[in-house]
Amino acid sequence: MAGSGNNAGQQTFAQKFASRKVQRYLVIVTFMFVPLLLLLVFTYVPFAKMVQFSFYDMKYIGARHFVGLKNYVDVFKRSDIFGSLFVSVYYMGGAVLQLALALFFATMMVFKVKGESIFKATMFFPYLVCGIAVGFIFKFFYARGYVLDTILTMFGMDPDNIPLWLQDQKINNFSLVATSVWRYTGQNMVLFLGAMMSVDTDLYEAASLDGANKWHQFRYIIMPSIKSIIVLNLVLSISGSLSAFEPPYVITNGNMGTGTYFVIMNRLAHENQRVGLACAMAIVLLVIIIICTVAQKLFFKYAFNDGTEDESKAAVKRKKLEAKKKGGA
Amino acid sequence: MKNKKLLSLGLAVSMVFTMTGCGSNGDGGDSGSSKNTEVPTIDKIKLGEDYKDLKADITILTDRTDIVDTTYKGYAEKFKETYPNINVTYEAITDYAESVTLRLTNGDWGDICFIPDSVEKSEFSNYFIPFGDHSVLNNTYNFVTEKTYDGKVYGIPNGGTAGGVAYNKKVWKEAGITELPKTPDEFIKDLQLINDKTDAIPLYTNFSAGWTMGAWNDYVGIASNGDPDYKNNKLLHQKDPFTKNEENSGPYAVFYTLYEAVKQKLVEEDPASSDWESSKKRINDGEIATMVLGSWCVNQFKDAGKHPEDIGYMPFPITIGDKQAAASGGQYAYAINNKASADNQIAAMVYVKWLLEESPIFDDEGSIPALKGKELPESLSEFDGVELLSDNAPAEGEESLFDDIRNTAEVLSGDYPVTEVLEAALYGKKSLDDLMKEWNQKWTSAQESYSVEITG
Repeated sequence: MAGSGNNAGQQTFAQKFASRKVQRYLVIVTFMFVPLLLLLVFTYVPFAKMVQFSFYDMKYIGARHFVGLKNYVDVFKRSDIFGSLFVSVYYMGGAVLQLALALFFATMMVFKVKGESIFKATMFFPYLVCGIAVGFIFKFFYARGYVLDTILTMFGMDPDNIPLWLQDQKINNFSLVATSVWRYTGQNMVLFLGAMMSVDTDLYEAASLDGANKWHQFRYIIMPSIKSIIVLNLVLSISGSLSAFEPPYVITNGNMGTGTYFVIMNRLAHENQRVGLACAMAIVLLVIIIICTVAQKLFFKYAFNDGTEDESKAAVKRKKLEAKKKGGA
Repeated sequence: MKNKKLLSLGLAVSMVFTMTGCGSNGDGGDSGSSKNTEVPTIDKIKLGEDYKDLKADITILTDRTDIVDTTYKGYAEKFKETYPNINVTYEAITDYAESVTLRLTNGDWGDICFIPDSVEKSEFSNYFIPFGDHSVLNNTYNFVTEKTYDGKVYGIPNGGTAGGVAYNKKVWKEAGITELPKTPDEFIKDLQLINDKTDAIPLYTNFSAGWTMGAWNDYVGIASNGDPDYKNNKLLHQKDPFTKNEENSGPYAVFYTLYEAVKQKLVEEDPASSDWESSKKRINDGEIATMVLGSWCVNQFKDAGKHPEDIGYMPFPITIGDKQAAASGGQYAYAINNKASADNQIAAMVYVKWLLEESPIFDDEGSIPALKGKELPESLSEFDGVELLSDNAPAEGEESLFDDIRNTAEVLSGDYPVTEVLEAALYGKKSLDDLMKEWNQKWTSAQESYSVEITG
């Protein structure tokens, strides 16, 4: 490019090779090669294989038969598979509650409370415990006559009135969702808190001088500043709740009507060796997650508007109008 | 600058070479100084005489994480007394069936493993070497039929189990039961007696462990109808196998037993929070009266507490005609890697033979010996007068058909279908007859998809 343009047109290969442009590409390619290779080998190739498998009737080993779209038809026709998506609704409800709680606690901590770091650490701690261990903790927590039952009887509840937390189909999904809320609230809170820290504290002072109470400060200062983090967390929790796996798998093994989509997928793939069907399920789930994510993005763009965008839009409109006027004059 | 370039060039070259090194590893196994190229069949080996100068290090994969460093290590050491040049290393794998299925596909997994259930018979020759011809080995060893394909035996079980019911003798006696039940209804009546007269849980389902529910599938074979041809040859071709019959035998009776026990609340109060590990001690202590599991569990129950003498084992309560029958089947079967070097294959063959014929493994595990003519373990003494049968081999060309059909039908495969029975009874939403009708439909449509001939 700039450094070697003296006798353009007659460059030897060596000169070309030494030129800055080529060298720059070389450096870029060399540095990108390893990560791209890893990405390709461990993400895209397996994914392409999965798409391919979803059109076959196959086991892990043994012959494969091409069956076209039959697996996809089965995903939508079988009540156990499609019904399991409704179990995810519980987890979505849990996700919303979890974000609200996290936002609440994070806001409390932004306004200087006593023992802030202890609270923060205690709330964040569950996230550090591995999901399988959390499952086992709660398996015993909910078991008949164990932790939860004991606590409730201590507070004077009649043991005969305590429901079977994991067996009663009216409440067992709530029990499971509660474990995942318990686990992730702290992590969401820390994320929110991190974003809130970047808000200039002078703004709170200025706002309170103008007579804004804490709610106003939250609504008009904090919320707009951390909007992108809220959206991100919501997207992550909704897609996470569609793919909820650990609590039902460890605690109830997906029985008693608690089987989420992933648990059913795991069962079909590993117990019945219906790999093709499980791959089709995975792809259907991917599509559902994409749809959910896009829908949320759109929702936040149009429905959950903090007003600032209107201003800037209005400003753009005004400028355009002015330009028109000038042009017209 | 130049040095750096050289360095990087060198690095790149060495990386390329290490990669080619990986590539050639697969078939480099027998490039050593091996003299033996011919691997003998297991019946040709004379223990303590042949191959005493063979030098080899062999690795054996096992699922028994609990005894790998004690009992199994002891076998390896004892074996070394006869064969000082063969080193045996045990590798315990926690999530055995799944991890080994994956590891089998690349040949580099060791020398001996237990064949995971997911490997189909037609695949055996891709991973394992044959121990010999079925017609020869069947005279010497029990249970070889299960892992035979095309007349060759690819796996020999490390012992067998009988299908029955584990119970606490003391509790059953306290309830006033003097004679063991012979039909599902008698069994339920006895459970009711236990419920009324003792504090024990009559039948512990171990629902939440999952595989303990899958164990019920095992009684569909011989225990439910006394026919060794049933599971591999008749069930496949049967129209609506889950229909009720007058005698109350057959597959229906197996699930009837579970359904009724749950429906009449003769099981633990909260199956969802049942716990396998503690249940072993509780049946030993008499807090649990009965569990439906294979005979392998007996020794574990005995070891779990202070009352080993209370643990008994009885046949499954179904009577066909006037007889009871019990399936005796092989446990996990040893198989030898076909990608190992010839020396290792021979050493592995010798070790397997030694385990089957000279090690105390059958006494240690309370299992039916794989070598024919050895005595039954004491724990199975109540099977007097009960026919102990093993499933006959499937017809030629239908070796993997039973697996195909039950996997496609998603009935009799894995734990989930049995949990369906328990849930139906627990919530009272579905009658057993309706559920069995569904299973019949699933079975029929799976039969259709493999175009199986329906004969009876």
